[in-house]
Amino acid sequence: MPATELSTVRQSILPKGGDTWQSIAARCLSGTPEAEAVSQLQSWNLHVFMRASGAAGSMRGTNPILPSDVIFIEPPRA
Amino acid sequence: MYDLVIRNGRVVDGSGMPAYNADIALSGNRIAKIGRIAEKGRKEIDAEGKVVSPGFIDPHTHFDAQLLWDGYAKPALSHGVTTIVPGNCSLSLAPLRAEFRTKLVGMFNQIEEMPLKAFKEGVVWDWETFSEYITRIRKGLAINVAPLVGHSVIRLWVMGEAAMERTATPEEITAMQGVLRECLDAGAIGLSTSYVDMDEKLQPVPSRYADAAEVEAFASVLGEYGRILQIVPEFYDADLTIARLDQLAEISLKYAIPTTFSPLFVNADNVDAIDRVMRRVDEQFARGARVWPQVQTRPIDISFCFAVPSLLFIRLPGWYRIMRFGTPDQIVAAFKDPATREKLVAESAVYNALWPKLRLRLVQTEANQKYVGMTVGEIAAARATTPIDVMIDLSIEEHLDAHFLAADMGHNCDERVGALLKHPRVHIGASDGGAHILSFSTYGDTGFLFAHYVRELNAMSIESAVKKITSDTASIWGIPDRGLLQQGYIADIVIFDPQTINRGEEKYVQDVPGDGSRYVRDAMGVDTVIVGGGVAWTAVAGYNADTRGQILPGEMQDTRTLVPA
Repeated sequence: MPATELSTVRQSILPKGGDTWQSIAARCLSGTPEAEAVSQLQSWNLHVFMRASGAAGSMRGTNPILPSDVIFIEPPRA
Repeated sequence: MYDLVIRNGRVVDGSGMPAYNADIALSGNRIAKIGRIAEKGRKEIDAEGKVVSPGFIDPHTHFDAQLLWDGYAKPALSHGVTTIVPGNCSLSLAPLRAEFRTKLVGMFNQIEEMPLKAFKEGVVWDWETFSEYITRIRKGLAINVAPLVGHSVIRLWVMGEAAMERTATPEEITAMQGVLRECLDAGAIGLSTSYVDMDEKLQPVPSRYADAAEVEAFASVLGEYGRILQIVPEFYDADLTIARLDQLAEISLKYAIPTTFSPLFVNADNVDAIDRVMRRVDEQFARGARVWPQVQTRPIDISFCFAVPSLLFIRLPGWYRIMRFGTPDQIVAAFKDPATREKLVAESAVYNALWPKLRLRLVQTEANQKYVGMTVGEIAAARATTPIDVMIDLSIEEHLDAHFLAADMGHNCDERVGALLKHPRVHIGASDGGAHILSFSTYGDTGFLFAHYVRELNAMSIESAVKKITSDTASIWGIPDRGLLQQGYIADIVIFDPQTINRGEEKYVQDVPGDGSRYVRDAMGVDTVIVGGGVAWTAVAGYNADTRGQILPGEMQDTRTLVPA
């Protein structure tokens, strides 16, 4: 079975190194104003948004997104 | 003359085919003949009325540390487990530079609830490379070990502190690929990684700072060897689990490797979610991918005292913080401080429906023995106080040596769990053997499978259950010559009574280095366990000093020698 014949599941991406809410919004929700797109991404990805950010002084800073995360780019399906 | 002949047994050979009556003759470490054996053996075992099956294989354990002081992985071996897979969840004890020993011990303590004192007093740190670790555990090894190497420790080895900060550079990824090859050459059966675990500082473990390209780079090396990738996905959410298994499927197809993810729990409130996950598993298998979900047999029971951090309190930050970072005296002081106690009691209110159902299972003082076995709610009524106050007061009175049991916390819907366990694309595993030793017993899942799902519920045939934990596991993990009772196969064998095999009652024993304790369960109904043709354990004589455990598949690269029947 080719991948194209898989049933449709909730769309997600695997972030690139250094990705932020803003960079993912620009790439995946380009038709939506940035602030709104970021807000949507955060609401669809509470597993990341609710995570504490990096330790004080860490390279990750206040960005909670880890390079290994799954980031959903649409809301949960009904 | 054969070295050992097992006579009159009911052979359940691991293939799933119907059981049959036969004798089995062993020569050296292999099965020489199955049938009616006229010739005598130097040693003979009468298995009349017993099942004779391949040794069980436990694919998800954390015996990494225990193997340093206990080559039997007690009591797993006595339950019929003849092969274990340690090194899951991105954590192995090698390769490990000396400067990161404290770090790794902290991670094992946080994630797998392995006591710090056991590492301090039970481990002589005389290895750094994976090969040196294998050499170290090989001494006195009575059980077979198929070790995974952990992604987090490879990152630490190559990247140092930066492993906990950032993605790897192309040069670092190339270096990590080289380290993985060294580990595979030294006997690792595959690589493990984690997408959920937190370290001792409650920060993500190093593997979580890897991007998808890094994981693919590792997978390409696994593809060179045909070895497995194990992951811990975000198992608490079906959409996340599906996204992860899609990622695994692409890797499996691209590099032609098996992958497995664990755990997969089914509860009353996530039945639909598990159905969705399994539909996706089926679709990906239909494409030719190998994405094996691991499902444990036992329901979730959690025991705890307040001297060590417990999984049960992980969503209560105030409680978890003092259990995680406080000394026993500091914890008792916190309980005695009225202001702190008030805050803790308030925070605990979210579980007020749970506390009365907990059961007091162990105390030290004579005065409180009368409460052992009672629920916290019953004790609260007897003391005219609240359940949470009972738990705090008893813990103060017992200087934290009051132990409580939260039974049947999940994964306890027989119908749903049974359906999963017999699903052809579900891998029975996820025991966590050797870990969480102060929260629950991780031994006896195989006995529970036979007692509960085969004998009591008739949800599976005994042939299917044996196949699931022997030849299926050997096939999924690429363990050659094991998992079946066939002429020429390695003689890892269990003899058990199908009418009585079970796990014993959970009990608290002090047998961990550093005067440490743990919860264990004795084997019931297991008669004899044979590893590599030698009797490793019997119900009558216990553990045998003739140890024949091997590193798998590392030591299986030698030429296969068939013994003529």
